[in-house]
Amino acid sequence: MASNDQADDVATYAASVRAALSDLPPDQADVLLEDLEDHLREVATDAGGSLAERLGPANQYAQELRTAYGVAHAGATRQHPLLRDVTVAISRLTTSSWYRQVRAFLPELRPAWWVLRAYLLVLILTRAFSPSTNLHPIPNPFSSRGLLEIVAAAIAIVLSIRLGRANRPLAKSGRLLAIGANVTIALIAVPVLAGMGTFPSFAMEESGGSGQQEVGQPLTMANGALTNIYPYSRDGTPLTDVLLYDQDGRPITLAQTAPDPMTDYPFAADGKPITNAYPLHQRHLSGDPVAAPRVALPPWPAQSPIVTPMPSPSPSASR
Amino acid sequence: MASYMNQAEVDPTQLLKGVLDLAVLAVLAQSDSYGYDVVRRLRENGLDHVGDASVYGTLRRLYQAGALNSYVVPSDEGPHRKYYGLNNRGRKALDQSAQTWVSLSKALNHLLNGRSNGHGK
Repeated sequence: MASNDQADDVATYAASVRAALSDLPPDQADVLLEDLEDHLREVATDAGGSLAERLGPANQYAQELRTAYGVAHAGATRQHPLLRDVTVAISRLTTSSWYRQVRAFLPELRPAWWVLRAYLLVLILTRAFSPSTNLHPIPNPFSSRGLLEIVAAAIAIVLSIRLGRANRPLAKSGRLLAIGANVTIALIAVPVLAGMGTFPSFAMEESGGSGQQEVGQPLTMANGALTNIYPYSRDGTPLTDVLLYDQDGRPITLAQTAPDPMTDYPFAADGKPITNAYPLHQRHLSGDPVAAPRVALPPWPAQSPIVTPMPSPSPSASR
Repeated sequence: MASYMNQAEVDPTQLLKGVLDLAVLAVLAQSDSYGYDVVRRLRENGLDHVGDASVYGTLRRLYQAGALNSYVVPSDEGPHRKYYGLNNRGRKALDQSAQTWVSLSKALNHLLNGRSNGHGK
């Protein structure tokens, strides 16, 4: 409780000091008052008594600061009381503890942004150089292009971190340029990310029209959605990676069930997903794989007929 | 405070103002320090009249002028502390100001001694 009162005292006193110095040019005020709250907190923790008792009225403190810092009093320009109230309110807000916590935490996210911006830059460049290909959050490492993307991203991340850590004091124009570059990367990344095919089905829908990937319409059934196909051999052994094609030789694909269950498609050597290998590898949002259904296998007749189209089974069977 | 004083009397805070830079630089030359600690050390060294805001404002100005470097030392309890230390520029400034101070104080002492000697005779 006492520390709460103390924090309030510090915030109020600091807000009054800031308000009294609100006529300073913002950049000067920023430099002068940067650590004011920390400093006042130090004073407040050291001994009892309110700050006003120990340091004198906030106005006087501000005046002393002004003199010591060597900035002239703007003097004549009296502030409108309403404007002054607003200034106090704003400085109270910006000196509140949650604002300070957020502000204090933000710089810790810097390294994350260094990594992210490098990743985004490579993504943007990939999109720029090959607009037709489908972007993935993680490129397929088994295709030459995907590998190139990964290597490029790794190099970019290292460079980006080195650039971020160098942290040299830049001239004002340089700083603006750096901020501009970061903002530009973030802005351009938005449409690129939005257009990224997170699920292969998007790629199919997109490229279906342009005819780049010979994929038919997703297969659906009258009695609800068909989400997977489980092929079995004649003797009841479950088969894996069975490739299915329709009468025209187009891969048979199923409508997407994402987000649950989600389908993991294997990737071909050229980096494209193989979408017609059954059963599809699916897992629930929880991460558990989708269990294969229990199936009732038909009892084959003892004498297995030859599996070829036969115009009249009975004569051939009797033969 | 100053208003209560006789106009002819020297206000110690006014006198201090001129040499506060030097005093702060001298404290930091002993060891790096943060704002409130500088105030405390100045007072411990007999500069009772030094104002908290004056020291804080001086530190910020010297820092802004490039005479100090600064770094933040996180503390488990209480606020993070921004430590200040002299860089080359600060040390140069201290040397020059110290020379100026020494010659100035010599001159003043000489004057004052002359007065007290003359007075005593």
